[in-house]
Amino acid sequence: MCDIIWCKECDTVNYLDPYYFWNWEGKIKCAGCENVYYIYMIQGHMYKGPEKKPGEKPDILPVYADKPNDGYEQILPGTPGKTRPYNCLPRHIYLGRADMVKFSARGRPVRGWRPQPPSTGVAGSCGFTWDIQKLSPEVWQEYQEKIKKGEVGDW
Amino acid sequence: MKDQRVTRIEDLPGPRSQGELEEMKMPYEEYCRKVFAPGQEKTKPESLKGIRWLSTTMYIFTPHSVANLAELGAECIKVEMPRMGDPMRHTSPFNECYLYPLHDSRPMTGTGLGFTNANTNEYYITMDYHVPEMKEAFYRLVKLSDGLTECYRPGTFDRWKQSYRYLQELNPRFIYVWGGGFGYGPKVFGGSYDILGQAHAGLASITGFHEDFGGHCTKHSNWCIDWYSGTQITVAILAALYWRRKTGLGTMIEFSQVQAATRALGYTVPLYGRFGIVRQRWGNWDTQLCVHGIILCGKSDYPDEPNPQLKYEARYAVVSAFNDPDFKELCAIIGRNDLWDQYKTLQDRIRPQAQIAIYKALEEWAADKTRSQVVKTLTDAGLLAMPVMNDKEVYESEHFRQRGTVRWLDDPVFGDVLIQSGYSAGLLSKTPRRVNWIWRPVGADNVKIYHEMLGYPMSKIEEWYEKNLI
Repeated sequence: MCDIIWCKECDTVNYLDPYYFWNWEGKIKCAGCENVYYIYMIQGHMYKGPEKKPGEKPDILPVYADKPNDGYEQILPGTPGKTRPYNCLPRHIYLGRADMVKFSARGRPVRGWRPQPPSTGVAGSCGFTWDIQKLSPEVWQEYQEKIKKGEVGDW
Repeated sequence: MKDQRVTRIEDLPGPRSQGELEEMKMPYEEYCRKVFAPGQEKTKPESLKGIRWLSTTMYIFTPHSVANLAELGAECIKVEMPRMGDPMRHTSPFNECYLYPLHDSRPMTGTGLGFTNANTNEYYITMDYHVPEMKEAFYRLVKLSDGLTECYRPGTFDRWKQSYRYLQELNPRFIYVWGGGFGYGPKVFGGSYDILGQAHAGLASITGFHEDFGGHCTKHSNWCIDWYSGTQITVAILAALYWRRKTGLGTMIEFSQVQAATRALGYTVPLYGRFGIVRQRWGNWDTQLCVHGIILCGKSDYPDEPNPQLKYEARYAVVSAFNDPDFKELCAIIGRNDLWDQYKTLQDRIRPQAQIAIYKALEEWAADKTRSQVVKTLTDAGLLAMPVMNDKEVYESEHFRQRGTVRWLDDPVFGDVLIQSGYSAGLLSKTPRRVNWIWRPVGADNVKIYHEMLGYPMSKIEEWYEKNLI
C-alpha cells in the first residue's frame, strides 16, 4: 500500500510513505536526480501527477528509493539531500544488541551485565538472594558512591 | 452493682447505637486506602496457598495462566527444557534488555524482559520429560500436585503417556489444562500465536481505521490475546478447583486461544446473525457514541525530546462529549456552533458523514494546540478529556503510584526492576496478589524440588544433570 514515483530519467523508484501521503498535494524531489514531481493524492489514490516540475522547490523528499534495474542500489531513509529521515526508528536509543547496565533508571543495582560470577550450586540450582556486596563488590562500591552523590532515587 | 457475668453492650468498646456507628465510620476513601494498603500485600494471607501447580508451558499465553495462580499464592513449578529454558527467555525487545545469569552453561546469555509478568513467583526446574528415564520423576510430581498447564501440539503429551487420560489414573483429583491454538477440529495441528488469535477470531478485522481513512486491519502491538486468554484459563482453573471441592474429581480443560479471542468481538456475531451485516472497523471513533474518540492535536507536549515517541507521538487525546448538552458545549468551545445546529441528536451525530465532519472540525481546532492544552480546555469546561498516555506518563502517573499499580521491586536475584504484573489485576482487601520475584534462572530450584520435595539423592540429581536430562 505504498505509492511510488518512478523517475524514468535516472531509473529510480521513489517510495512514498503511505500514511503521510494518503491525502496530500505537493512536490517531491527524486532521490536519484534533480527532478521535482508534483502529485495530488486523495484517499491513497494518485488523483493527479506525477508531473515533472523542473527547477521548482520541492516540499518533501521520499522516504526511501532504489534502482531495481541497476542491481537494486538502495537509498536508505535519512540519506542527506536524497531521502528524509524515518523518525520511527530511533537507532540512537535502540541499539539492537545487548545493552548492559549495572543500575536501573532510578540508580539502584540490577544484574544486567555479563558474565556474572558463577554462583549456582548442584544442577544449576541457585540461591534466593543476590548478595551484591559479596558477589559483585565493585558494583556495590559504585552503588555506595552513587548514594553519596544523591543519584539514587525512590522513583 | 453490676453483674460481672453479664456482658452489656454499653460496656463494650465501639459504637453504642446505629447513629454512633454511622458517625464513627471513616470516609470511604480512607477506608479503601486502609484495607487495600498498597505495599502491605506481604503481611496478608494468600488465597491459593496449598495449591501446587505444574507449568510445562512456553511464551506468554499458557505461562500467564499459571502466573495468575502464583501471584495469588499457589506454589507453581515451572518445568523447562535443560540448559535452554522457555524460548520466551530469549525474546528480548530489540535483543537488548537482558538480566543475567540464565544458566551456568550459558554465561553470556540472559533472560529478556519479554519474559516478565508471565512467570512470576514460580519455582524453576529443568526436565526432559519425554525421555523414559525421567517419567518416574514426572509422575511423582503429578501425584503431589493439583494440576498442570501444558502447551504442546494436541496429542503430544498423549503420545508421551502424560496426557489427562494417563495422569488421572495416577491422581484422580488432577486438573489438566491444555492451552494452544485451535484445539481439536479441522485445524488440530495449527500452532498458536497471539496474532493468529486476533486474525482467526475476526478481532483484527474490526480493529484499526477503515481503509477509506488510510487505515488497515490492525493487531494490537502487544500480545493482548495471549494475556487475555491466559487469564481466561485461570478463570477455568479456579472453577475446576471449586468443582473438585464438591466432587473430589479433577477435570481436563481444553483451551483454544483463537476461540477465546472471539469473546472480545462483542455484538459482532449476533449482529451478523440477525441482519447478515459484517461489522466494519471504526478506528478510534465509536459506532454508538459521538463525540467519543481519539483526536490528533497539532503540537507536541515534548517538542525538545530526542525520542520520537515523545516528540511526535505525544499528540493524541481522548475526547468524550456525546450527550446533547456536552456536545453543545464542545461546539461552543471549538467555535463551531453550526455543528450543534446541524447535529442536535445523538442519532444525527453517529452517522458516518456526521462523525467525519465533527472529528475533522475537532482536529482543525486542535491543530495549533498541544495535547495538554486541549485536555485542560475541555476538562475546565466540564467535559471528559484525557491524554493518550505513554510509558513515561504511566510511570509518572500519581493515580497509578497511589494505587501501587506500577512499582519498583527489589528482586532477590536480579535487583531493581520496574513492574506492574500482579499489581495490575485488581485489588483484594484480605488476600491481595503479590510479586515476590519476577523469575529465577533456568533450573534454579532443581535441588529444592528433586531432592528436598521428591527425596531423590543428590548423586541421582548430579547424574541426571551430567546426562542433560535436567
